[in-house]
This record gives sequence, structure tokens and C-alpha cells, in this order.
Amino acid sequence: MSTNAVPVATEQYNYGIVKKFAIMAMIWGVLGMLAGVYIASELAWPFLNFNIAEITFGRLRPVHTTLVIFGFGGSALFATSYYIVQRTCQARLWGGRLLPELTFWGWQLALVLGVITYMAGYTQGREYAEFVWPIDLLITVVWVIYFAVFAMTLVKRSQPHIYVANWFFMAFILATALLHIFNNLQVPVAWNSLESYSLFAGVQDAMTQWWYGHNAVGFFLTAAFLGMMYYFVPKQAGRPIYSYRLSIVHFWALSFLYMWVGAHHLHWTALPDWVSTLAATFSILLLLPSWGGMINGIMTLSGAWEKLRTDPIMLFLITALAFYGMSTFEGPMMSLKSVNALSHYTDWTVGHVHSGALGWVAMITIGSFYHLIPRLWGTTLYSTKLVFVHFWLATIGVVLYIVALWVAGIGQGLMLRAFDQYGNLAYTFIETVTFMHIPYVVRAIGGAFFLSGMLLMSYNLYMTISGARQSASTEGRDAVAAAAR
Amino acid sequence: MKHESIEINSGLLIVLTLMVISIGGLVEIVPLFHIEETVEEVDGVRPYTPLELRGRDIYVREGCYTCHSQMIRPFRDEMLRYGHYSLAAESQYDHPFQWGSKRTGPDLARVGGKYSNEWQTQHLVDPQSLVPESIMPGYPWLLEDELDYSQIEARMVAQARVGVPYSRTQSEYEANVEQFGQEMADKLHVSNGVEVLEAQAAAENWDGDPDRITEMDALVAYLQMLGTMVDFSKYEDGHFNQFR
Amino acid sequence: MIGDIFAWLGDMENSKPLALILFFSAFVGIILYVYTGKRRKQRLESYKDIPFMEDDELDPTRQKKQQVKKDESTNGK
Repeated sequence: MSTNAVPVATEQYNYGIVKKFAIMAMIWGVLGMLAGVYIASELAWPFLNFNIAEITFGRLRPVHTTLVIFGFGGSALFATSYYIVQRTCQARLWGGRLLPELTFWGWQLALVLGVITYMAGYTQGREYAEFVWPIDLLITVVWVIYFAVFAMTLVKRSQPHIYVANWFFMAFILATALLHIFNNLQVPVAWNSLESYSLFAGVQDAMTQWWYGHNAVGFFLTAAFLGMMYYFVPKQAGRPIYSYRLSIVHFWALSFLYMWVGAHHLHWTALPDWVSTLAATFSILLLLPSWGGMINGIMTLSGAWEKLRTDPIMLFLITALAFYGMSTFEGPMMSLKSVNALSHYTDWTVGHVHSGALGWVAMITIGSFYHLIPRLWGTTLYSTKLVFVHFWLATIGVVLYIVALWVAGIGQGLMLRAFDQYGNLAYTFIETVTFMHIPYVVRAIGGAFFLSGMLLMSYNLYMTISGARQSASTEGRDAVAAAAR
Repeated sequence: MKHESIEINSGLLIVLTLMVISIGGLVEIVPLFHIEETVEEVDGVRPYTPLELRGRDIYVREGCYTCHSQMIRPFRDEMLRYGHYSLAAESQYDHPFQWGSKRTGPDLARVGGKYSNEWQTQHLVDPQSLVPESIMPGYPWLLEDELDYSQIEARMVAQARVGVPYSRTQSEYEANVEQFGQEMADKLHVSNGVEVLEAQAAAENWDGDPDRITEMDALVAYLQMLGTMVDFSKYEDGHFNQFR
Repeated sequence: MIGDIFAWLGDMENSKPLALILFFSAFVGIILYVYTGKRRKQRLESYKDIPFMEDDELDPTRQKKQQVKKDESTNGK
């Protein structure tokens, strides 16, 4: 029964769970970005709110952020971490069939419930942690199982050394657990009510929330995706990472420094000055490990640069690292108090987030998936040409997006602080809103570019997978029988 | 490291990583609860009345914080535009805080009293009818939906559990009389919740419809209170700079 | 003498230089550990080949040797 169409690895490793998470990452990615394009359009053309409560900006925005961060990003991280930990440990995923499946269904359930509750108006009102308390509990359970599965797979590995990608995934799992628990301390209105009040108030609550908020970026959207990078960049390049020793320093420095920087979201607020000074200092220091990681990834390709001309997957991975480098430079710059005075509360921040989220997180995931999906199904990619097209759609989309919001954010910041010759405010607030209309239109178009790339990718991957299924069924009845079992 | 057992290695990785990621948060967050200057002493800051509390719930429900901040920074332009910069004390009863992170619309920390009740109601129902260039969504359902205040006492109790001084016992009530005065202490007493809410809704007729208590009543009552608690004329210029 | 050191350590005002010294020496320690020693260099850099030590590459043209763990063949479908 062991024909070529059913590779041994599907028996040795648990790939079923990887496949499930990968497919859901694509679905949530498309839906989340669709929600993003829609709310971006609401800002450009407010009639799109249609006076319907469920789709107003304030309720759809958490839908967008939750679906892209936890739906797309989270599912992609489950998929790749389960794949990488098995292959670099040369051990099957711990927990039998049941525990990994529980993480899958628990996570998907949390996302579906999250979308429904947000649109119905149930939220904690904490950015990137809007889930109401019962969903918080569900996520906690899922996360404990995830930790157990991942850690126990490490424990029973047959490879003596733990590869560095797994370090990053482990830091991500631990930090997310810590953040999730402390940021979601709350008292429900009643046991049968979805509403609750946060345990902390005012300044302490703000600090806890942004300690969470920035480390959701630092560990969920950075450390974990660096784990992805440390595996898929070498694999796709066909050469090992540039420097393993650099990756060790990179890991410890990044893990240590990130947790200090959250308060740079609260410069010039009622937060005591010493905290925001400390956060700004560490934000600047953070540039070093961030760029260390970027250099480590990009230099992996040193001596094989011609791959960038022929291999669009490599193009995605390296461009992701370039955007990572750019946004980890922009971030420390924006954490300087003088720059922050202008940039904070404006669209510059939103643009910065998206240069990281689209340029780094989404692109590294897209590149990794183009590498991963054909291997999971034991086949080759349906079309490399479409990957090239996707690359350009994505890149143009990100650039349009970032530039539009630089214009909107810096422009608004400057207008709001402008004075006329008599020392009066030069502009009213609504004049800045009028000014931002065109950048908002361009931003929505940029988002639409990126979304169309995701749709193209979905088509390409769908054809890849269904092609693999067809060839499997024509190559032998045994294979079909095995697959059906 | 090869001689060490595998379990110890992955266990060590977990322990070391946990230590390393815990330091930053501990150093920055824990002192905020202990250093007294974190929240300065200011007269006038009080918990929300039951109607304002429900209004605040609606503010959170509709995601107003995604476009409006409630945190005025100590800059000349912001103080001209919005008023005195925000104090930590002014959000000491905010569970959760509503400082926000993005101003797609203007800051609301001191919006209370700047516009009439009629203006606020009309603006929430159809913003473009008052500000044609506005990109704010309309919230007409706030005027249609009756306010659900059946759980108001449970809400006040939950707030009390997280540290807001709503009184449940006689001694707590007396402490509130001491701190906020008799009139306010009555409004902050949990068992008075329904009665106080209905009285406040009737007293000002926030949404222009005296017959029903709508969600608009609560939200407008909340907005009209924002930033009005502290009387800055009682303090010398620069008094609050010492706390920054 | 010893008492003086403890008094200095116990003073909260000195926590900043103390923390700086601790964290910086930990950092220098890691750097020194990672970047010194020829044998250690070879050992550490050898780990970067782990992603390429996989016994299969799911390459349909390659012969599969390992048929172990057949007992779990019903997984994940």
C-alpha cells in the first residue's frame, strides 16, 4: 500500500492537524482582510455604515483585527509550529489524535463566537482583546493544551538539540499565556451575562492593556513569525541559516527587551513619565535584535541572490524580512517622545502597524504557505506564475497602504498643531478629516490590492490541493483506500 | 549540554524564557499600584451614576474608543482645542479605561457641556446633518431601543467588586457621604440603582422624548458628564505639573 | 564592609545601576559564551543543519526507507 502518492511522512508525523489549520488560516485571512477593506471603505465613504448597528466601524473593527491576528495569524502559527516542531524534533506530535484536534476546534470556535458577539455588541472594549469573558476562558483552555502538546513534543524529540525556531514558538506560547491571563482579569456582571468590568482601572488598566497590546505584536506577531522564518527561509533557500550563534543572541535579546516597550503607546498621557521614558529607551534598544534577526534571515540567501529572480516564494520571504526591517526601524523612531507627540492618535500608527502586519506577518506567512502546502499534500504548486502575480499585487498593496497613511497621519498631525499668526489654532478638527479623504481612498485601494492577492493565492492553493487529490486517485486504488480510512 | 537529559533541557528553556519575559512587565506595572503619585489627589472625581454607567457601557459596546480618545495631552494645541490635559485621577473609576489609541474623530475627554443635549442626540442619530464633512456612522437605534437597566444593581455590584466605591452596606454609604456628599452618596447606593437611574433620566430628558428611557438617554448623560468632574479653576496654574 | 554592601543593595534608589549591571553582564556573558571557543562555534553552528536532517523530503522520486511507526498510520485524514 505504500505507493509514492501516500508519503511515509503522513504516517510518521501528524500532518492532518497542520492541513486543517493551514486551510482555516487562508479562510480567515480572506475574511479578515475583506472586513479590513470594508471598514477602510467606511472611513472613505461613511454611507457604507448604512445605519446598521452590526456593521458600523466600531463593531466591525474588532472583527477585522481579531480575524487577521488570531484567525489568519493564529491559525498559520498553529499550522507551522505543529509542522516545524515535528520535523525539527523528528518526533510525532504529542497528545495522540485528540489533543491537537481540541486546539483546532477550540480555536475555531473562539473565532466564530468572537465575530458573532462583536457584531451583536458584546466586547470587553480592550483593543486586540475584545473577546468577552467566556471566550477568554475557552482560549485559556485551548492555550494550555497547545502548550502541553508543543512542550511534550519537544520533550520526546529524537533530535538532541532543540532547533531555534522552536525556541521562538515556545516564547510565543508562554508570553501569550502570560499576557492573555493578566490582561483579561475581570469581574462579570452576572454569571449569565456576557458583560464584565476589568479588574484594573484608569492608568493601571491602560498600562496592562498596552503591555498586552504591544507584546501581542512582539510575541504573537513577531517572535512566532520569526520561528516560521528560521525554518522556512533556510528550507526554501536550500541553505542553512546565516549564523546560528546570531540566532541565539537574537532570541534572548528580543525576548527580554520586548516586554518593556508597551508603554510607548502611552507617551504624554497620565501615565507617569518614568514608565514612558523607560519604554522609549528599550524601544530604541530593540532595534538591535530586530535587525539582527532581519540580517540573519536575509544573509541566508547570500551567494544565492539569483534565486530572487526565479523563485517568487523566496521573493515573498525576503521582502517580508525587508518590511520587518523597515517597520522595526520605524517603530523605535515613533517611540521617541518628540516624534510620538505628532504621530500618536493619527493614521501614521495605523500605517506602521500594517507595514508590519501586511509587509512582515502576512508576507512571511504567504511565502511559508507556498512552500508548505505542496509538501503537505505531496505535490507541486499549481502555478508559479500566479505566485509572481500575487507578489506584485501584495507589494503594490502594502506600498499604497503605507504611503497613504503616512500622508494622512503626518498631514493630520501637522494640521492639528498648526497656529495662525495670531496664535489661534489654524485648523478645526473637521478640516483634517476632509483632508484625509483622498489618503483614505488610496488606503482602501491598497487594501483591496492585498486582498485580491489573497484570493489569487486561495485559488492557486485550491488547484494545488485538488490536483494532488486527483493524481492520488488515479495513481492507485490503494492510495485512495488509505486516504479514505 | 549533550549529557543533560532531554527533559531538563526543554524544561530549562521554558523556565529561562518565562523569567526573561516576566522582568519587563514586573518592573513597569507593579510599581504603578504602589507609588502614590501614580494617581494624584483631586477633588470632584466620583464614580458614575447608574444612568452614566449604562451610557458608558453603550459607549464601549459601540466601539466609540476605536475612533475617539479620552486623553488630552499637555500640548498647547490640545489644550486650546480640548481643554486642560487629562489627569490620572479622572479615569480612576474607568473599568476598562477609555483613553483610546486613535483620533479618527476628536478627543472626548472634556466633551461634557460643550454641546446641548439636542445637539448630541441629533448628532448621534445623523452626524452629517450637523457636520456635513463628518465620517462618523449614524446611531439611530440608540433613540429607538429602550434602555435595559434590569441588571443595574448587578452592574454596580460588579463595579464595587473591582474597587469602585458603590455602597452596599451602611458603613460604605457613610464613607461615601463623607467623600462625595449626601446627594451623590444616595446615587451611588446599590439598592437605589433603579430609582436613581429613572429619576436622572426623567430630570433632564436627555434625548427629547420624555415618555421612554432610551439608550440615547444613557449615552448622552454619559457624554455630558465627561471631563466635568474636576473644577480646574480651584487649582493654581501648573499645580498638576508636579505629578507628571 | 559587608554590611555596607548589603545596605547599598537594599536601597531602592540603587536598583537602577544594579539592574543595569546585572542585565548588561548577563548580556556580555551570553555574547562571550556564544562567540568564544572554536569547539563551541563548531557545535553551535552545526545545529543550523537540523532543518535539513529530515529523513524524508516528501519527494515522490525518492525511495522511502523508514516504515517505522506504521501503527499510527490512521492519523490525520
